[in-house]
Amino acid sequence: MSQIRNLPKHYELARRIIYVLIALAVILPYFFNPKQEFKPAIEVENIYKKIESIKPGGHVLISIDYDPASEAELYPMTLAIMRHCFKKGVIPVVMTPWPASVGIARLGCDEAANDANTMFQKKMVSGKDYVFLGFRPGFSQLILKMVNNLKGSFDKDYYGQPTQGMKALEGVNSLKEIDLLVDIAAVGSVEVWIAYGADKAGIPMAAGTTAVMTPDLYPFYQSNQLMGFLGGLRGAADYEKLLKISGRGERGMLAQSATHVLIILLILGANIRLFFGRFFAGGKGASR
Amino acid sequence: MIFKRTIPLLIVLGIGLLGFMQDYVPHPWSASLVDEMTTWSLILGGFAALLGLYSLLHMHWSRMRRKMSGWGYSAFVFIGAIGMMAVGFFSDSIGTVTSGTERVSLYDWGYDYIYIPCAATVFSLLAFYMASAAFRTFRARNLAAGLLLVAAIIVMFGRVPLSETVSEWLLGDRQIIPNMAKAIMDYPNLAAKRGILLGIALGVISQSLRILLGIERSYLGGGD
Amino acid sequence: MTDDLQPDDIRIADKAARQAIEMGVLVLLIVVFFVVSFMRQNPFAEGANPAKAIGIIVAAGLTIIMYSFLYRDNPLFKIVENLYVGVTLGYNVVISWRQFLRPLVYQPLFEPPTAEAFWNSLAHLFVPVILGILLLARISRKHGWVSRYSYALMIGWGAGVAIPLFTNSYILEQLTAAVKPIQEAVGPRGLAAANSWEWALYVAAPMFGAVLAMIGTFTVLFYFFFSVEHKKVGAVISKVGIWFLMVSFGASFGYTVMGRLSLLIGRVQFLLHDWLQIPQQ
Repeated sequence: MSQIRNLPKHYELARRIIYVLIALAVILPYFFNPKQEFKPAIEVENIYKKIESIKPGGHVLISIDYDPASEAELYPMTLAIMRHCFKKGVIPVVMTPWPASVGIARLGCDEAANDANTMFQKKMVSGKDYVFLGFRPGFSQLILKMVNNLKGSFDKDYYGQPTQGMKALEGVNSLKEIDLLVDIAAVGSVEVWIAYGADKAGIPMAAGTTAVMTPDLYPFYQSNQLMGFLGGLRGAADYEKLLKISGRGERGMLAQSATHVLIILLILGANIRLFFGRFFAGGKGASR
Repeated sequence: MIFKRTIPLLIVLGIGLLGFMQDYVPHPWSASLVDEMTTWSLILGGFAALLGLYSLLHMHWSRMRRKMSGWGYSAFVFIGAIGMMAVGFFSDSIGTVTSGTERVSLYDWGYDYIYIPCAATVFSLLAFYMASAAFRTFRARNLAAGLLLVAAIIVMFGRVPLSETVSEWLLGDRQIIPNMAKAIMDYPNLAAKRGILLGIALGVISQSLRILLGIERSYLGGGD
Repeated sequence: MTDDLQPDDIRIADKAARQAIEMGVLVLLIVVFFVVSFMRQNPFAEGANPAKAIGIIVAAGLTIIMYSFLYRDNPLFKIVENLYVGVTLGYNVVISWRQFLRPLVYQPLFEPPTAEAFWNSLAHLFVPVILGILLLARISRKHGWVSRYSYALMIGWGAGVAIPLFTNSYILEQLTAAVKPIQEAVGPRGLAAANSWEWALYVAAPMFGAVLAMIGTFTVLFYFFFSVEHKKVGAVISKVGIWFLMVSFGASFGYTVMGRLSLLIGRVQFLLHDWLQIPQQ
């Protein structure tokens, strides 16, 4: 039964109890009211305010740098940003340098465009109100090419429409004409976009990353190379709160709170057991 | 030796110097060079990706051919790959079906209902293992581990909405605990990450110089 | 009678009983899964979208099979795992053809709109396509060395371009940002506003934070400098660096917990909302 041989039986039992507790901590909050009061982070608010300040017809380049493995954290923030763009009349220019991300980007564009119809009574047309450029290989070299020649990097969009003369890309020939660059990433692409794209083209940049990568963004935020960032599911929830449109981010926050408290209690419990064990054993033979 | 080693190294040096100088040369020729070289790199990058895909298929094919342990499962790799390629390349014929009143691409269907759930679920398994590992091994046995533990708990709690409720209840202000978490991220975390970033940047720059000067040659492959 | 049974006999009997129970539970779970799925996602119901309904059932099934790994590794999990690898591979091959090879290489060379366009494309694509084909020679043990030309071009260009960009974005910009709060605090504007509480809150406090961050950055960098032995003063500096690193790793652990749990929350939301169609409050 144990996948690791010779493990004491009580470890097996503890492991399974923990799995059940985690599962309950995630499942039970689903059945309660998920609305919670929380203040969005200033880093998220900066992105919101920036998109609010872009005039209708402006452009936001969204790079989808994640695959379905990180869909739970990053797809809600992708939707939130695209919905905001549609609400403001700003044109999202969506692209991806990874083949595995094409499907996710396609889904995001389709869902956000459909939502714009129901939420804002706006019919979004590909090539006119938004554009999905698709995938090109090369990553850092692709970004470098886009700095001076965006339409040359993507001569056709994902659906095969030529980008030259496309209404959605009117006035945009290079990255320098983009009003805001947003990199939504699960890989270490934010740093590359900063160095090869935003800094070189001199445009403002924001990032949305998995929670695992968020601590790495602070040096770039403090240096103003990033004007804001969204960190994990909480970042998506913050943005949905600012947008006043409920989504998976906000709906996941109660479960997030419950599971975090459970993990903290488990860690504290184990450490209290350690200290009491040391205390009663006179400092020797601390238990695991 | 000239064709196998010397010429490639000279190409690296020459192209590398061009790549280095283009950043400082505002002449239109420099911009044209960047445009052309990046196009070449895009195409080469695409071929390199194809090489990666071939390697993966070859590994599973070898496993099946040699009947290594678990070789039967490798057959499912080919089933999945051939299935997706068939519906993708022949999307006009076998790759599209009618569902209700809609035409559905089986290629997109495979991505939406096979690729996404499998990929998302594989990584979500980590949540359970992480909880179990944290309970079993996360102990404050010394000062350094204690600092790690305290920082982890403050950040874990400070980043969830419940912390604002507890902060108001215990300390009278909703933002005290979240601000503690923010302070940890804004100062000590920033310092350490910046130090690591500077170290990595210096490492990449020195490695790039080593490559240009021909000191680092591992990218050429074996036999040198 | 029990005296005749050997320990091995008891273990084999236990194992057989356990396998029989597991098989029984598995069959029961499969039956329950299909019954529940067709109750909640009937693809044959009027007005239903069969492709979407069947897709959700398949997705839910794959999700549950993957979670069976928590109980133990099993053949169903291995099958799904390998199927997923295959589907990923197939998807990437088709996308590479549709989005890269066909528009960038095949169509300009083999389906050009005009003769002039063909010669223009040939002029631009001849060298990279030949180098790309040479790259594929890496597969061959005997002739793999020809791929060195392709790698030399890619790696050389990449390394050359990286030096100024990394220097600017990761070193100069970061060092500027590290010093800027201190510069602002002791600059003409900062000093002119001194002795006011606003200066203390908005200028001095960030300055002290920046000093703390600079100490942390320097000590962390020093810790990673392994070329000199960390003795006496060096040991103290290194120790301080380790403290900063520990706090940073603790923060990273906190965020990692958040990230992993979010992935689980996403999957559970799919199973409850999309598959079982239980409305969330």
